[in-house]
Amino acid sequence: MSALVAAPQTGAVTPVGLRARSRPYRAIARATLRSVLAFRLQFALSLLSVLFQLVAMLTVWHALLSARSIPGFTWPQMEAYLLVGFSSGTLVSTMSDFRVSYRIRTGQVALDLVKPVDYQSARLAETAGSLVTELASICFVWAVMLAFGLRIALPPTPYLALFAVSFALIALLKFSVIYLTGLLCFWTKNYVGLQWCRLAVTSVLSGAVVPLSLLPHWLGTTAQWLPFAGMSSTPGLILIGDATGWYAVRLVAVQLAWAIALWLIARLAWRGALRQLTIHGG
Amino acid sequence: MAVIDARGLTKVFRQPDKKPGWAGSFKHVVSRTYQEKVAVDGIDLHIEPGEAVAYVGPNGAGKSTTVKLLCGILVPSAGEVRIDGLVPHEQRAAVARRIGVLFGQRTQLWWDLTVADSLATLREIYSVPETLYRSRLERFDEVLGLGDILPVTGRKLSLGQRVRADLAAALLHRPSVLYLDEPTIGLDVAVKERVRTFLRSLGDEGITVMLTSHDLQDIEDVCRRLVIIDAGRIIFDGDLAALKDEFAKDRVLRLETAGPIESAELAALLPTCEVTAGEHPRAVTVRFDRFTTAAGQIVSAVGTLAELTDFQVEEPSIEDVIRRVYAGELLAGAGADSDTAESDTAEPVTAGDVA
Amino acid sequence: MSTGTDISTDAPDPTGTGGGAFGSEDWANANANANANVDGDSAGDPYGRGHSPLRILRLYFRFLGTHFRGAMEYRADFWIMMVAAVLTQAVSVVVLTAIFRLIPELKDWTFWPIVIMFGMVTLGEGVGSLCFEGMWRVAWLINQGELDYMLVRPYPVLLQVTSSEIGLNGLGNITTGAAMLVLGILHSSIHWTVATVVVGLILLVSGVTVKVAISLATNSASFWVASPSPLFAMAVHQAGELTRYPLTLFPSPLRVTLTVAVPFAFIGFFPTDFLTGSHALWIALVTPAVAGYCLLMAVLIFRRGMLRYESTGS
Repeated sequence: MSALVAAPQTGAVTPVGLRARSRPYRAIARATLRSVLAFRLQFALSLLSVLFQLVAMLTVWHALLSARSIPGFTWPQMEAYLLVGFSSGTLVSTMSDFRVSYRIRTGQVALDLVKPVDYQSARLAETAGSLVTELASICFVWAVMLAFGLRIALPPTPYLALFAVSFALIALLKFSVIYLTGLLCFWTKNYVGLQWCRLAVTSVLSGAVVPLSLLPHWLGTTAQWLPFAGMSSTPGLILIGDATGWYAVRLVAVQLAWAIALWLIARLAWRGALRQLTIHGG
Repeated sequence: MAVIDARGLTKVFRQPDKKPGWAGSFKHVVSRTYQEKVAVDGIDLHIEPGEAVAYVGPNGAGKSTTVKLLCGILVPSAGEVRIDGLVPHEQRAAVARRIGVLFGQRTQLWWDLTVADSLATLREIYSVPETLYRSRLERFDEVLGLGDILPVTGRKLSLGQRVRADLAAALLHRPSVLYLDEPTIGLDVAVKERVRTFLRSLGDEGITVMLTSHDLQDIEDVCRRLVIIDAGRIIFDGDLAALKDEFAKDRVLRLETAGPIESAELAALLPTCEVTAGEHPRAVTVRFDRFTTAAGQIVSAVGTLAELTDFQVEEPSIEDVIRRVYAGELLAGAGADSDTAESDTAEPVTAGDVA
Repeated sequence: MSTGTDISTDAPDPTGTGGGAFGSEDWANANANANANVDGDSAGDPYGRGHSPLRILRLYFRFLGTHFRGAMEYRADFWIMMVAAVLTQAVSVVVLTAIFRLIPELKDWTFWPIVIMFGMVTLGEGVGSLCFEGMWRVAWLINQGELDYMLVRPYPVLLQVTSSEIGLNGLGNITTGAAMLVLGILHSSIHWTVATVVVGLILLVSGVTVKVAISLATNSASFWVASPSPLFAMAVHQAGELTRYPLTLFPSPLRVTLTVAVPFAFIGFFPTDFLTGSHALWIALVTPAVAGYCLLMAVLIFRRGMLRYESTGS
């Protein structure tokens, strides 16, 4: 039943077929989920951190929108938009960052390298593991917000489908960005600083705290074409109905293009990092 | 006056009784139950200045807990302990100046500083005068080769370098007592030898050494006194040499001869020894009490039966003795305390009481 | 001089001729003198105040300096941290600017006074990072058992902990925070008198103290909840970031929490309120009191945590 094929010369077994080949990655995902659940308190607290940011943004924007109205952003729309921003912040969050840098700093990465799995895919599998709890908490917060009077006018079904695709791409994009930043650890050893830079840049350019159209013109337009926009702005705009027609399709296309591009760039960067590691001993 | 003086020292840990899973977590919040674990159970320990004491026991016996109690890192649940007359957890600063510690698995050096910087920082903390500091560093360089590792950053030290640097760090302020918790773990043979020689020399200078180690060679090389702890209680406290003399009396001589040798014939010649046939007809093994029979006697006896071509001597091993003590085989009461100098040593318990 | 690679060929030191570790030192006297000079009245001195306060302070700066020198060796890391700090603050200013492009004021607060608040909060964080970063390592120190070594040294454990690391981002935060403060003050028409200046300085110092104290207290939670990273402290820190914005924006329960339970409001909000508007006397009096109270509580909580560590051996 297990699709293993013995190589004639060496007798080593190679998994054949998608189910067998994905087994190690699924195992990694499961193990990560288990360890995340084991640290329930930790997870709850990191969730709380992001929640506070959400509260801050909701409060400020509510005050702002009470003072004046902004076309395209009514209060219910803004609420939903900020919630998408919060969701983006929760996905692929704290656990992965710490994990990437810790492994490298303590040299555990050497253990990862000898495992017969593709390094990048293995890290993605880990992310998938913690995604389960992240999605659960996102749903929880959305539910609470709805209970507290959040009203969303859901866009028509085609756009809802587009939103689903766009939302799913957030995880992939975020992963690649964090992974790339993490690879820099091979060169600098200081991950905390890099993480803060990444968070700062991402928070503005993804439109999570301020919609891109409300930023200074030059900043907003540039941001649209960067990968970060896909991490919050694109799905957010589609959900609240501000992105329609070909505009919406274009946004998602850019998002998808960046998702693929970053994954490939990460593979190249990985080879460079490996060279660095083996030559300089990391 | 004993420099380390513990009476009835006890440490009990309360572990919350937490069941796994969400149900367990909720129940834990509502009604807490605790499990008590007695790590150290009323031990009496008196160590004089300049002694080198080995503190041995199976894993989980309470060795590390005892060391922590003696340092002031843990507060005792009952009983009292005094280091040089001072109570560790009450007079922390004063005791800190008198003790040096080396935890084998962790370094006290700063990760991001060079060894030189770490030692300089420690020098400030312990207020070591400049001249003494310099002369001590020189000494450490002669004896431990410290000079070469001074410019190395803490995180880049190899294990052997780290232990040597940690030793210097622990002794920089010339403490009266040095605690070593598994100092040679993971070290290669050459470095182990160097460290043991160094530790041996400390006793000559009046520095008391208390060593816990699983490496029994460490203990044999460095210490004269052995304290065995099991399940929180001291089950043996006495002179190491005397322990070996009492319980490790047997030597084994493995002999090979040119022609075949009959073990029964040899046994007849050596009535006080245990003679067994070797792996092949030209080999024979003789087990004998080294106090009653000399190896030379055995060799002569063999010589009368066949020509001796090769032999191997196996010395009594402290490891065997300790293993038997753990197993409760030895009634330490009878032999050991008549040989110890201490009059108020802890009375070792009899085999029946040992777990 | 022995060579590191030849350890096995080195002959062990001959004993009996003053060879040994300390050679011919008159160790008995040397030690006795050293102990006598610094022991003083160390009876009942559980946390090692054997040194004089001045010496303790001097040593503290020395420790920070050593870490600073160590950190400066990694040029790239240094600049990354600085850039990270500046970038983070810049982002918050960008967000604020974007908001104020849309409205002239936020619940009676105009742009520049809010910048002053940003400045004060950032300064508090900067000082905490530069001088007391070590407290963020409490969780890690406990996890790795490094506190044990600190307990056997004759120097206050709390100060060993806080000085165990230096946060270079603190420099970045102090510079940006000061810049925000200065720019904010210049652009707000504050009527300066001697009294205002004095009170202003007191409020600034108090604000910084409150921030450091809250960070210390929340990091001490690690004594009770084991974890390799200080998540509770980080969560509370995030809550504190709310107080960059005028407190009046938030619903009352939150306002009360941020004023009474975790008095973040006294770091930036009330001092700025005093300077730019109300000049309310109660702020001038209560803020320093709150600062003192927070500091006391933080130290007590830490001590209680240490006591727990010593009885459970965590």
